[in-house]
Amino acid sequence: MTFAAYILMGIGVGFVFVGSLGMLRFRDTFSRLQASGVADNAGLGLVLIGLVVHSGWDRHDITLLLLLFLMLITNPIVTHSIARSAFVQRHREEREQ
Amino acid sequence: MGVIDTLVLCSLVPILILLWRGPTAWDRLLAYNTASNRIVLVVCLVAVASRQAIYLDVAIGYAALSFLGVIIVARFLERGGGQR
Repeated sequence: MTFAAYILMGIGVGFVFVGSLGMLRFRDTFSRLQASGVADNAGLGLVLIGLVVHSGWDRHDITLLLLLFLMLITNPIVTHSIARSAFVQRHREEREQ
Repeated sequence: MGVIDTLVLCSLVPILILLWRGPTAWDRLLAYNTASNRIVLVVCLVAVASRQAIYLDVAIGYAALSFLGVIIVARFLERGGGQR
């Protein structure tokens, strides 16, 4: 059980690292949004599922699953909101010129 | 568990660089959101490693507050705030 948990958390940490380096590497706001929004959800979900597997099935795991549910709902909303904000502002600047 | 903590904290370094030199405000906002995600992850890892279930409630509160802050700042920038 612990071995499977460590494999899951290792894959998740790999996704997290790739997301961070992609955010540093890309040159545009929307490319950075794609690197962050795709890799963060995968890494966060894998690490939290690995934590649930690691601690067995006790009564605190429902809190971890609630946190995972919350993050899986709020992360795409945040990504969409930042992208919409940047797009609207750039469009407005182009129209004023 | 200590190795995974350390790796997640090391992945905060490129995000802090982006937060420092980001060309536009949206890059900095995205870096803040990503850094708060990493911090929630570290709090969950510490909570499971030290068997203190109260830290998970701290993580949920932190996630909700950072979500509200990012949404509010994004709406503020969308309406042209901070420029005039």
